[in-house]
Amino acid sequence: MSAALATFRGNMRTVRGAMPSWAWGAVLIALAILYPYITDNINLPILGGHDDLLDASIQTLGYIIMALGLNIVVGMAGLLDLGYVAFYAIGAFVIGWLGSQQFPDINNSKGIHFLVQSKSAISHQPIPGIHINFFFVIFIAAAFTAIWGIILGAPTLRLRGDYLAIVTLAFGEIVPRIFENSQSGFFGIGSIDFSNGRQGITPIDKINFPWTTDTFKYPLELKPAYWVALGMVFFTIFINRRLRDSRLGRAWIAVREDEVAAAAMGVNLVRTKLMAYAIGAAFGGFAGVFLGTYNNTVNVDQFEFGFSVFILCMVIIGGMGNISGVILGAIFLSLVNRDLLPQLNTYPEKIGLNFDVTSINFGIFGFLLLVMMVLRPEGFLPSTRRKLELHESELEDEVVAGGAMEPQLYEVRHE
Amino acid sequence: MEAASIPEQQPEPEARTPRRSPGAYVWDNILPFLLGAFLLYFLVHDFNRSFDDLKTGLSNGTIWALIALGYTLVYGIIELINFAHGEVFMIGSFVSVSVWQALGLTDTTAAGVGILCIIAVLPIAMLASGSLNVMIERVAYRPLRNAPKLAPLITAIGMSFILQNVGLLWRPTPDSAPDLIRSQANYFTVFNTGIEHSDVFAVVVTVPLLVALLWFVGRTKYGKAMRATAQDMDAARLMGINVDRTISLTFALGGMLAGAAGLIYALYNGVIKFNQGFTAGLIAFTAAVMGGIGNLKGAVVGGLIIGVIQALSDDYAQPVWTPAIVFAILILVMVFRPQGLFGEETREG
Amino acid sequence: MSDSNGALLEASNVSKVFGGLVAVNDVNFSVPERGIVSLIGPNGAGKTTFFNCMTGLYRPTTGKVIFDGRDITAKRPDLVTKAGVARTFQNIKLFRTMTALENVQVGMHSRMKARVTGMVLHTPFVKREEKASIEKGRELLNFVGLKRHGELAMNLPYGDQRRLEIARALASDPKLLLLDEPTAGMNPQESEELRQLMEKLRTERALSILLIEHDMKVVMNVSDYITVLDHGEKIAEGNPQQVREHPRVIEAYLGSQA
Repeated sequence: MSAALATFRGNMRTVRGAMPSWAWGAVLIALAILYPYITDNINLPILGGHDDLLDASIQTLGYIIMALGLNIVVGMAGLLDLGYVAFYAIGAFVIGWLGSQQFPDINNSKGIHFLVQSKSAISHQPIPGIHINFFFVIFIAAAFTAIWGIILGAPTLRLRGDYLAIVTLAFGEIVPRIFENSQSGFFGIGSIDFSNGRQGITPIDKINFPWTTDTFKYPLELKPAYWVALGMVFFTIFINRRLRDSRLGRAWIAVREDEVAAAAMGVNLVRTKLMAYAIGAAFGGFAGVFLGTYNNTVNVDQFEFGFSVFILCMVIIGGMGNISGVILGAIFLSLVNRDLLPQLNTYPEKIGLNFDVTSINFGIFGFLLLVMMVLRPEGFLPSTRRKLELHESELEDEVVAGGAMEPQLYEVRHE
Repeated sequence: MEAASIPEQQPEPEARTPRRSPGAYVWDNILPFLLGAFLLYFLVHDFNRSFDDLKTGLSNGTIWALIALGYTLVYGIIELINFAHGEVFMIGSFVSVSVWQALGLTDTTAAGVGILCIIAVLPIAMLASGSLNVMIERVAYRPLRNAPKLAPLITAIGMSFILQNVGLLWRPTPDSAPDLIRSQANYFTVFNTGIEHSDVFAVVVTVPLLVALLWFVGRTKYGKAMRATAQDMDAARLMGINVDRTISLTFALGGMLAGAAGLIYALYNGVIKFNQGFTAGLIAFTAAVMGGIGNLKGAVVGGLIIGVIQALSDDYAQPVWTPAIVFAILILVMVFRPQGLFGEETREG
Repeated sequence: MSDSNGALLEASNVSKVFGGLVAVNDVNFSVPERGIVSLIGPNGAGKTTFFNCMTGLYRPTTGKVIFDGRDITAKRPDLVTKAGVARTFQNIKLFRTMTALENVQVGMHSRMKARVTGMVLHTPFVKREEKASIEKGRELLNFVGLKRHGELAMNLPYGDQRRLEIARALASDPKLLLLDEPTAGMNPQESEELRQLMEKLRTERALSILLIEHDMKVVMNVSDYITVLDHGEKIAEGNPQQVREHPRVIEAYLGSQA
């Protein structure tokens, strides 16, 4: 096995070896930054070009952030989460609350404003509702979502694989439903309208830099939105990499590999898992805010189980635990989603945003998942670890000595 | 590997299973206590209305029971949640309705003809769903039997989506089943509640199936093989049991029950659509977990209980809350009493 | 700080019952400071179960475990490790897809203090701590005689894997090391090397060692004191000479005909 690995590494080296790795990184970053200018000038078959392509790319950036977040939970810590859409929803509703006119009565109808334009340009009256600058909302939402990550994660700590999956799925179903039924009162408590029911909250404030009240002008002018999203993606990647190579990252992988051994080595299972949930969820909220304002609407129809699977697919197909792989997986699946969409869109069940015509795409995703798992469960660019783990049963013969078998003798106790 | 052994002489050592305090006894049984108390409250509060809900819930519950059995059979034998099981149920509905439509049956078809067609189609639906389930196992689960549990779960989800897509292409819009049993007509009245044809039908189809299943699993050689494989796959293999075939058989049985449930549902509910399996699957799975996953009796009881809870919730709360309530129950059971009502205590105390 | 009779670890009246099965029955046991104590007995005697009771993997049905003056009975495994008890496993439980060095670094988890903010910001403290953990890891690996620090744990030969388990256990700076059949599957030379390693651990690192073993040569040569379990009960204890000649021990291992 190590021979195969060495060959694999050797092959990679010949391409990578052309330049030192930091140079490759710089090239990629430069390309990413200049990308909008590239799309301005191309018009490819299937992919399209100009603003269409850029728009899709911006959405994809949002998904990348979420895929990286889910990667922490599923890929690194090994906690199968089928309800990630709940965190997207929470983040989106946070900007629905903090960046729109959803609460018109607040502050005597004068609204609360923070580093945003507070008076309407036309009527010169204060704009009702809560309006907080986007760049603050993303972090507020991240923190808020992180807390919910802990709340929703806590009951699942004792659960094994498939049970865990189902419970997280159930949460993923409940959360949007709670929002849906919060038109008068939060799930019936109180009387404030938190979600505008099935119509959703719209419009959502556009992004503006804190030092000016000029807002971005998407969907007319997409480039600034792209760069903000790109910045968020870089931030996400940065944090992921730092965590991956840290004490916590190692603890996550240890927990994923062997909980019992990890605990015996002094890893606090509860804390480690909750950290994974919290940080993973935070990225969901983080991206949710951006997508909420970019799509100019926050609406429960955007949050379905299918989306959780969509993001999960990205993590799996991209190779669990592997940051670059997950990014590639996100890009690939966004392409599949967007481009097979019109092709197969002959039987629309619901009209709406990207994910409402999902049912059709999900047949395709389903098929992809099936094929992936049976043929190459480790994904396209698996982290070397995962590849070893998943092919372990094939290697069992090669592993020395009878001591390598794992009887389920030990049960794990969490307090 | 250490195996514990019982000491030969036994002056009763003090370290026997410690006696449980009354509080522990209540906690262990809190789930049935709560359920019982819950039901009692509603019956006392408004008997007629609650009894009506009870009736609705029980007949609805038979459908869940049948589907839940499929989950529990499969989980019992390979410790895997067959995510696509809900879709197997949906296909059962679709097949039934398609055959009836092909036969030209409508709401006004003569009762005798209707009954005949039901009897004729039931095996067809069961066969279709059973084979589908077997195919799913073959394609999605068997190749991954040794992979970490994540892999087959993902393929199961994939399978579920593929099947939903099939359903969607088959019937993009909801379709109605011919009302062969005059489902709304009353048979008789009990405690001021009308027992309709649909209720009787649900029970009349389900009970024999359950009896047959229990007989099969408990009394036949094949059932024994299933139970042996569920307990210890390797040992069963060593005893000469063809484990692969036994697993396929289990899937077949589970699928057949889901197919029957699909047929019942089509007539009971009147309307079928491609995504009925997703919700039904989750509800039935909750039932299976509540009853104790792996436990057949538990799946049935769980199904009935969930049906009743749903009916009460739809009536006393609002239908929009019902899914959230059912999911909340699922979460609570899995967290606080994962062995359900009848499962064995699996966690170390 | 040890308690009055000088024992580092004191287990009293420990029993473990699974349903109707009594796996460990009222066992009293102690390990002195800087002592090497062995726990032997036929297969199925309850030795690993007893280990698990002491390290928090099982909650003992009855009994107490006092370590270093503190009650660690039924504490979570990671807290037991934090208190200073480390262990290896009968069936190797390495983190297979991590390198040897990373495995050892995980062993240090409870002794490291980096927090998320620090990890993300790469504060000087965290950078220093990481660097120190690498150095310490290498030192431990060298100490146990493992040269391939960057090799994935699952690719290591069996003997090295066993060594790695020990290095990983040492990483948490324990006062007491529990080794569960460390020489299983080793040839005589490797066993002897391991025995020497244990002596080194006692003298150079002031560790106490509690050992489950089947290799009688190692047991007799390295132990200060031996306790024998059979069917979950303690049937004999004493120094190697006493145990070797104890009739019940002979009977347990060889049967009652001899």
